[in-house]
Amino acid sequence: MNISKKWLSDYVAVNCDDATLCHKLTMAGIEVEKVETNSTVPAGVVAAKIMSREVHPNSDHLSVCQVFNGKETIQIVCGAPNCDAGKIVPLAQIGTVFSTPEGEFKIKKSKLRGVESNGMMCSEEELGLGSDNSGLMILDDSIVPGTPFEELYPGDTFMELEVTPNRPDWLSVWGIARDVSCLLGTEAKLPEISITESNEAPRADLVTVEASDLCHRYIGRVIRDVKVGPSPAWLVERLESVGLRSINNIVDVTNFVLMELGQPLHAFDLDKLEEGRVVARRAVAGEKIVTLDGSELELDENCLVIADAKKPMALAGVMGGEFSGVTETTTSILLESAVFQPSNIRATSRRLGIGSDSSYRFERGVDYDMAELASVRAVQLILEVAGGKLEGKAQDINTGRPQEVVIPCKFENIRTRIGSGVTNERIEEIFRTLHLGVADVTSEGCVVTAPLFRRDLLREADLVEEVARIDGLDKIPEIAVAGKCCHPQSEDAWMPLQKLRHLAAGLGFYECVHYSIGSVANFLSDSRFTEDDLVKLDNPLSPEMSVMRPSLLGGLLGAVERNIARGNRTLALFELDRCFCANAQKFPEERNELAFVLTGLRHPERFSAELKENYDFYDLKGALESLFELLNITNYRFALLENDDRFRAGHACAIVLEGKTAGAFGELNKKFTSNWRTVYPVFAAQIEVAAILQAASRGVAKYKAAPQYPATSRDIAFVASADLSCGDIIDFIRRKKLQNLESVQLFDIFEDDSLKAKQQKSMAFSLTFRNSERTLKDEEVNAAVEKLRNALANELKVELR
Amino acid sequence: MNDIIGEIDRAVSAAESRAAAAATGAEIEAIRIDYLGRNGLFPALSRRMGEIPADQRKATGGAFNTGRTRIQEAIEAAQKRLSAGSEKMDSIDLSLPGRRSTAGRIHPISRMADECAEVFRRMGFVAVDGPEIEDIYHNFDALNTPMDHPSRDPQDTFYFPDGRILRSQTSPVQIRVMETHTPPVRIVAPGRVFRRDTPDATHGMNFHQIEGLYVDKNVSMADLKSVLQRFACEMFGPDVKIRLRPHFFPFTEPSVEYDFSCVVCGGKGCNVCKNSGWIEIAGAGMVDPAVFKAVGYDPEVWSGFAFGLGIERLAMLKHRIPDLRLLYENDIRFLKQF
Repeated sequence: MNISKKWLSDYVAVNCDDATLCHKLTMAGIEVEKVETNSTVPAGVVAAKIMSREVHPNSDHLSVCQVFNGKETIQIVCGAPNCDAGKIVPLAQIGTVFSTPEGEFKIKKSKLRGVESNGMMCSEEELGLGSDNSGLMILDDSIVPGTPFEELYPGDTFMELEVTPNRPDWLSVWGIARDVSCLLGTEAKLPEISITESNEAPRADLVTVEASDLCHRYIGRVIRDVKVGPSPAWLVERLESVGLRSINNIVDVTNFVLMELGQPLHAFDLDKLEEGRVVARRAVAGEKIVTLDGSELELDENCLVIADAKKPMALAGVMGGEFSGVTETTTSILLESAVFQPSNIRATSRRLGIGSDSSYRFERGVDYDMAELASVRAVQLILEVAGGKLEGKAQDINTGRPQEVVIPCKFENIRTRIGSGVTNERIEEIFRTLHLGVADVTSEGCVVTAPLFRRDLLREADLVEEVARIDGLDKIPEIAVAGKCCHPQSEDAWMPLQKLRHLAAGLGFYECVHYSIGSVANFLSDSRFTEDDLVKLDNPLSPEMSVMRPSLLGGLLGAVERNIARGNRTLALFELDRCFCANAQKFPEERNELAFVLTGLRHPERFSAELKENYDFYDLKGALESLFELLNITNYRFALLENDDRFRAGHACAIVLEGKTAGAFGELNKKFTSNWRTVYPVFAAQIEVAAILQAASRGVAKYKAAPQYPATSRDIAFVASADLSCGDIIDFIRRKKLQNLESVQLFDIFEDDSLKAKQQKSMAFSLTFRNSERTLKDEEVNAAVEKLRNALANELKVELR
Repeated sequence: MNDIIGEIDRAVSAAESRAAAAATGAEIEAIRIDYLGRNGLFPALSRRMGEIPADQRKATGGAFNTGRTRIQEAIEAAQKRLSAGSEKMDSIDLSLPGRRSTAGRIHPISRMADECAEVFRRMGFVAVDGPEIEDIYHNFDALNTPMDHPSRDPQDTFYFPDGRILRSQTSPVQIRVMETHTPPVRIVAPGRVFRRDTPDATHGMNFHQIEGLYVDKNVSMADLKSVLQRFACEMFGPDVKIRLRPHFFPFTEPSVEYDFSCVVCGGKGCNVCKNSGWIEIAGAGMVDPAVFKAVGYDPEVWSGFAFGLGIERLAMLKHRIPDLRLLYENDIRFLKQF
């Protein structure tokens, strides 16, 4: 909504500067989004009287003048030929800033050829008030020296207002004036609006309303013998000040009244209407109309049209038809002022993709009473600017005046809800200055009647807002909020995720956040899912952004690829976020996943051999083990993962938490990575967050005393078949249940060419024995080890060393 | 002065000059043995104390103790001097790079969500969660959104074939919490929301919000203001001011938008605040009675406020990130900065 200060001032005295006005409007809920002024004269220019003129001692074209600026007489050196004593001229005083295309320049005290000068007298051109640059601008003798130029040549200020959808009454200059009056404490007044109307009844079928559910009021007035032509300057200026183009005097009046009072109007060329009458009806499916902007629209029965005896002539409330508008040849007009059903106008406008200043107002709701006033106002102005004669009385077809809403309110409730001490008297005053009806005032409360232009006021809560915004939200005190808790921490759903993220970051991984919408191809890189498992959008932005991610893999692959393309080859990334699945057999619809990616150099900050080390499988495995340790999760194992083409075969594990598969990790399948410009293998892990949180929730760590008696260790070394894994051997040893065996640890593994040729490897384990009650004797430990050595040799067929 | 005192003085000078000249540990040890060792001078002198006449015993004892201390100090100083020299010879290259474990970082979006949640937790709020695939009832109807409100349009909101949507705001979490809890309620709901916007510098097809809801008896706009003020100070420092401006939202009445005094220029005016001194943060308001009715709370008994914050917006403001898309690119050089 655009508004100009000059226009606003026609209805309400604006007794403050622009900045204050904008601030007050914004703080009252009418946000001023943009302010512009067309004033070209900078602040600091005043009218001044030249008292005397002398020739400059060192120049033949400069003069030295004594100039009275209203307060004192100062010396100015001037080059203009017409700086004669006695003239009133514009004076830019010291400090005035001129903006020119070359930049800003500021008037300073200076010396011109050795003579002091304290300002600058200006030409018309220099002030942007005309093109005359032949000499000083000469003002009328009656102007008092010292008068600021802003007063002599006031510019206009143009404001762009953001009007919230609940306040259609602010979509007019008059509506804004009403609130400004309340904010500035000055009275808002409409100009005299009246016409002389004959008592002659209009022809009975001038206006017919067939669809009264969509057209609540239709006022038609006929004016004959109008002279269509250009508008007078004042009308053009008003329209241009709010960004509207002048078309012709009739159309301009309808637009003027629309902006002035917020009531859209339409003028039909009466002679172009078949049978000279209008019908407000639903369109017949397939009916067509060519609108003013030249587009042909196909209508259906949901559209309200204003038709003549045969065809639609206007898309009601949205746009007039091309063939019934006012042109230079028009002599008779039918002036429409109507109230249409808001949601129907909105639906039509949206469905057909066209809108206008009219539809904007109709879809927010116009004031039933204003339809009549606006019609009268328009007739008054048309007669003034286009001549003509009003024919007969108005035809006003309506469904009756709507009920005004009556809201009883309690002052104390208003105070409590706002939290301020606003007084009963102030509340009442605010209601009255907002033009609300106030009755039955007691010490407890009053009864407010909302006028028809305030259809947003329905309940006491709505009145609270009026008091809060007019009294000033900045007057609401701040009271220290008490930190009382009404929810147990177990209800905090964010905390566990926050903790997990911080643990993952603590392990050295950087968190990523990706869009959770993407493409089928990217998301099916996770081969656990088929296209049917994806949650698909009905109205995607594009095929690349059409489905919800089933897992985090697709997004992370994208991040790794993007980073590598930019030369970032060392990456430790994780993501913890929501994933979606349409197949309840596989996963719930929404769940959280945690995923890691690791690739590149282990110590890029180091040198020599260390600098050449790259991350391998065991770095990621170790990170997961550390994560579980930090979460006190012990009931987990990693099992060989087969037939999962996310990973390189034989280089991936399933993560089994509490006996259930909860994820996987390993080296990524080369099919993902082979095109990437990196020599390093890429490792990834994926775990279900619910499974982690469940496993982590088991009990609290219990204290165990550190052992008091010393441990004894023994080493066992042997050559084993290459396919015997470390885990197999440790499991084998554990199954033997050796007395006092505390732990087993691999400490060496060795393969040379000759061992490899025989498909063998050398391994060495360290066994630690301990008894919590006593110090162990060498003999009993030796006996246990001997038993194990025999078992290894006999059962696992290893060659002991 | 007796002989012994003279002898002590001479011994001290000799020992001090030997210690000053000593170049090896063995030399220092030899000094110690000569003067302080079991068969050294001082133990021998000590044995001769009996010879001293009683009237001189005190002075002699004093000289003895002072002398012994000075020799000990000379030896210690020499040891220190030598060991400092030898350490230097063994020194490693201290300037070689340390062996680091990668630091790891939380993404600025989660970090901001965490920080917000922490601030509100200290005010008694709990951070809750809700589904991202939401139904029309919780996202719009229960929040008093008019049936023909533009936000319901498939132009603006993502729909699924079954009629459900991707939540366009975190506000449905308010409804879900109120449906399952009796008041009082103090929740914040951080999470992802979706708008059908083509990604650009300030828009994305999804972004994150944190929603707040506070319901109790006699809750006022003053409570709302104080919570927002406290949040502003905790997030951007004690000098940040807040400003409420009237606005309109279907689910609150009165509704406000709130601004922070510019966190860049402190309110003096700069590019970031477009010279206004204020930065628009988000919307808030008193819960509309219609919302309370939808969840079965009696609006005559309970009152409350709700507010929303854009996580990306706060993170961008805090870290001066110029383009929202940077947050979703996940370039490691970006992630390492926060």
